[in-house]
Amino acid sequence: MTMTMTMTMTMMAQTGSGQLDFVFGHLTDLLWGVPNNRPGGLVMTLILSVIGIGVGMAVAVLVSAARQSRFAALRWLATNYVRVVRGVPLILVLLLVHRFVAVSLGAANAFGSQRASLLSAAVALILYSSAYQSDIITAGLRAVPTTLVEDARLLGSSRLRTYASVQIPFGLRLMKPALVSQAVTLFKDSSVVVVLGVADLTTTARLVLGADVGNAPYWVATYLTVGVLYFLVAFGLSQLVARFRSEHQRMGLVTVIE
Amino acid sequence: MDWLTPEVIGMLAKGLGLTVALTIITGAFAFVLAVLVTGSRISARRRLRWTASAFVEAFRNVPALIQIIFWAFAFPNLLPIDLRRQVFFDNALMDGLRTLTGLSVPYYVLAAGLGLTLNTAAHLAEVLRSGVEAVPTQLVDGARTLGAGSRRVYRSVLLPSVIRTSFPAVSTRLIHNMKNTSLASFVAVPELFHEIQASITRTFRATEFLLLAAVMYLLLSWVMTVLLNVIDGRLHTGARVSR
Repeated sequence: MTMTMTMTMTMMAQTGSGQLDFVFGHLTDLLWGVPNNRPGGLVMTLILSVIGIGVGMAVAVLVSAARQSRFAALRWLATNYVRVVRGVPLILVLLLVHRFVAVSLGAANAFGSQRASLLSAAVALILYSSAYQSDIITAGLRAVPTTLVEDARLLGSSRLRTYASVQIPFGLRLMKPALVSQAVTLFKDSSVVVVLGVADLTTTARLVLGADVGNAPYWVATYLTVGVLYFLVAFGLSQLVARFRSEHQRMGLVTVIE
Repeated sequence: MDWLTPEVIGMLAKGLGLTVALTIITGAFAFVLAVLVTGSRISARRRLRWTASAFVEAFRNVPALIQIIFWAFAFPNLLPIDLRRQVFFDNALMDGLRTLTGLSVPYYVLAAGLGLTLNTAAHLAEVLRSGVEAVPTQLVDGARTLGAGSRRVYRSVLLPSVIRTSFPAVSTRLIHNMKNTSLASFVAVPELFHEIQASITRTFRATEFLLLAAVMYLLLSWVMTVLLNVIDGRLHTGARVSR
């Protein structure tokens, strides 16, 4: 056992500097993709997250409006949309969306399979994110004082107008911590797009290591670096969530949790 | 339904079994670990508090997929090839697991399980901590005044109250953990999603099998929601009786 330990130590000492060289040599790849496939890496992960969260938010506003609609069919549709999307893994949403994108684009030949994958990834992240965001919005809207809504209605504004100019702006403030926290989750979950080969941070780590058995000693250092890159963004944003939460506590506002 | 051959059904049943087993085992370990970590985070000892918080931040802020790939594919590479084979793949323990479970590479399942457990434990610890913050100080002060020591306060006052208030959020996270078991398919773990993909390569019926997978995961989510709701209800009636 001691012999094994010494062997391991020497081995690690030998490859230690090599590991660092390898990681530093590929740091630009990890940050914005391998040459002639840019943007990729962390930048692509950020682009996909921003699209998922931004467009997802717009979809979520519509879905939660539908959830409090007068029409039962619309309410049923919106509620079950959220239930279904939340009930399955993101990886499955990605493959299902890709299936329909590929079929509707005619097996992706005309479009270039890489761009088809990117489109599928963006659409899947939007759908996935919107389901969670719509739950946060619904909970946030419930926390808006009813008197405020009734006053707006009494002053003659329509239901839609009340929703857009009273409920959403007021509720958004209550939802802020939960929405940012959801954004962090989507940022981390976007790593799953590797299943479609979209050149995000996770896929780039795979590309950098490749199928070369000689790269085996560099796996630990590479994945640790990838972990640190994800960590820096996620931890930074979660500090923001903590600050919003304590602000809310000071102001005595209700905080909506996911 | 001719694509649903007996062979494929067998594969999917085995995959479903492994998904359920992974969900229960990683969920249970993660919960126990999260309780211990939460206890350490409110400990009087500074170093313990700091270590526990570092654990939570590290394993919460790195994607579960990266953690799973790290433990399964990267970690064994720390050892030279012969030793690696001995330690992780070919030894009495792994052989025993192989015959016991029928898994071809038990290490990958263990590694994926470790990744899921640590990730979910960190998330659950964060959930439990907000539960701790919601406990009224009078409750703790009261127990203290009645002469309970800090360990007693934690076990008999804080813990039951925290688990009760944060159980809905714990349930959400445990369901998320169930969905995350699908990530184990990336490291050759033959769970449900892996077997769905294997069925697709065999039959070329992607749409059918993906929709079937969606239905199966929805059912799993639904069953978990129902079971966890029952537990949630029990937790609350229990509180009323003991008072």
